Amino acid sequence: MRNSMRTLRTGLTLVLMLAAISCGGGDSSGGGSSGTTAAAGNVVSVIVDGGPTATSGAINTLYTTVTICVPGSTTQCQTIDHVQVDTQSEGFRVLGSVLSLTLSVNKATDGNALAECTVFGDGYSWGPIASADIQVGGESASSVPIQVIGDANFQSVPDSCSSQNPTSEDTVATFGANGILGIGVFAQDCGAGCDVAAQNFYYYSCPTSTTCALLTAPTTIQVANPVTLFATDNNGTIIDLPAVSSPGATTVTGSLIFGIDTESNNASGSQTVLALNGAGNFTTVFDGTSYGDSIIDSGSNGIFFNDSNITQCTSATGFYCPATTENFSATLTSTNGVSVTESFSVANAETLTSDDPTFTALPDLGGTFTSDAAGFDWGLPFFFGRRVAFAIEGLNTSVGTGPYTAF
Amino acid sequence: MLKPPIRCLNHMIFAFNLSVVPLWSSMAHAALGGPEAAVVAEARQLNASVKSIEHVGYRVQEIQLPSGTVMREFADAQGTVFAVAWSGPAMPNLRQALGSYFDVYVNAPKDKHMGHSHLEIRQNDLVVQSSGHMRGGFHGRAYLPEAVPAGTALDEIR
Repeated sequence: MRNSMRTLRTGLTLVLMLAAISCGGGDSSGGGSSGTTAAAGNVVSVIVDGGPTATSGAINTLYTTVTICVPGSTTQCQTIDHVQVDTQSEGFRVLGSVLSLTLSVNKATDGNALAECTVFGDGYSWGPIASADIQVGGESASSVPIQVIGDANFQSVPDSCSSQNPTSEDTVATFGANGILGIGVFAQDCGAGCDVAAQNFYYYSCPTSTTCALLTAPTTIQVANPVTLFATDNNGTIIDLPAVSSPGATTVTGSLIFGIDTESNNASGSQTVLALNGAGNFTTVFDGTSYGDSIIDSGSNGIFFNDSNITQCTSATGFYCPATTENFSATLTSTNGVSVTESFSVANAETLTSDDPTFTALPDLGGTFTSDAAGFDWGLPFFFGRRVAFAIEGLNTSVGTGPYTAF
Repeated sequence: MLKPPIRCLNHMIFAFNLSVVPLWSSMAHAALGGPEAAVVAEARQLNASVKSIEHVGYRVQEIQLPSGTVMREFADAQGTVFAVAWSGPAMPNLRQALGSYFDVYVNAPKDKHMGHSHLEIRQNDLVVQSSGHMRGGFHGRAYLPEAVPAGTALDEIR
């Protein structure tokens, strides 16, 4: 009885204090109509450019435009440009300062407000979870759990969140985008692990917006990959970008295609199909070492790998700065017996960015990786000049069952 | 990915220690720049298993965290921790692992946005490399360049 009383009172508190996500009133996007005179079909345009603001200075960062609506509404919608396209995360996230809609905060399993500490390799993004209808190109999904990063009502970041990877990325400037569209190979951003206390470092229950504590979250309430919730074209994605000549280009435009083998424009061909393991990774063999946590990541802006023989930059920390362009090759291998060798080049990152500051697409950008012989990251340069498909876990295409990457 | 139930208990203890700052900050600093002995004591408190590995010029305390992530703390001949490295499904608690260098890391200028999978800072007193993502795992290391023992290659810090 006491428990149910407490639940009721908590529920009232929730309604009073946390019922809505604050509106940042960002002007980068138009609210109002249902937006998109969306190109029909399963394609949305993507672009590599300098980013959401004049001072973003983005390099090799892939963006698209996403429209979100209050669930069920065709009028309370907002179209958001410069949403980063990320093949190594799942779900849609928008910066609170950009959001002009009023969305209701979703509930954790205990009835309190649900919030998340999204941990990236480079930092964390904190904010509540809400549901929204999502339109990308001609595809749409209803009541998708999304995250509002840096929401004005949730400014108190739990210590257990900021202690993980302590660089806060809760503003457009620090995040480098107005939002992010995670189209990785999983249906949710965490999965079954977050329903187990020992594995949940991400989902929080918030009795008030300043007293959030870790609480397990079943997959049904986690931030969801919107692709899996489309009515059709929901088994994966293809990113199609043109080749970029060295040293670079001012902008690059291409396509994000939804579905694999579901329409005439997304048929599997004779490309290499690289099966991914349960963590979405494969193995790269480089210079005699096997890197078992390799990824192909549209959200990384270079080829990141460990080679202590290459000169590192002095000002562009984390990137390589060889005196002359160096050429490499590495072999991508997978549990399905596939093995394919790819070549890549690494030029001087500081020269690349200073010789023509208008360039935002740099095919020869390479960076360092910690030396634990585990990770090799094929970032956006890998995508230039080809179609790269990502099949979602457990879903079928004509050439296999996800998770796989094909190119 | 699911762990036996005993792991849950371990993690609850672990999380409690992390969230109640005074509890652990009152202990000896088991962290970068601090004494190696505190690492072992603290790991025991966290119910984490510890394995000691001798190398030429330094010793590694390998700590299996309840999350499944492995953290390695590198101590020189005097028993001072000069590097930490981590690898596994979740980030370790860097506030704890970096100790007094945590704030140095937080406040370090991050001049080039490298995308969301990587971060590197490189200062005279501290180098941190961090990579990863939520479904695929995290890797990283932090070390004190001026404290790395002579003859120890940086590639050994992993």
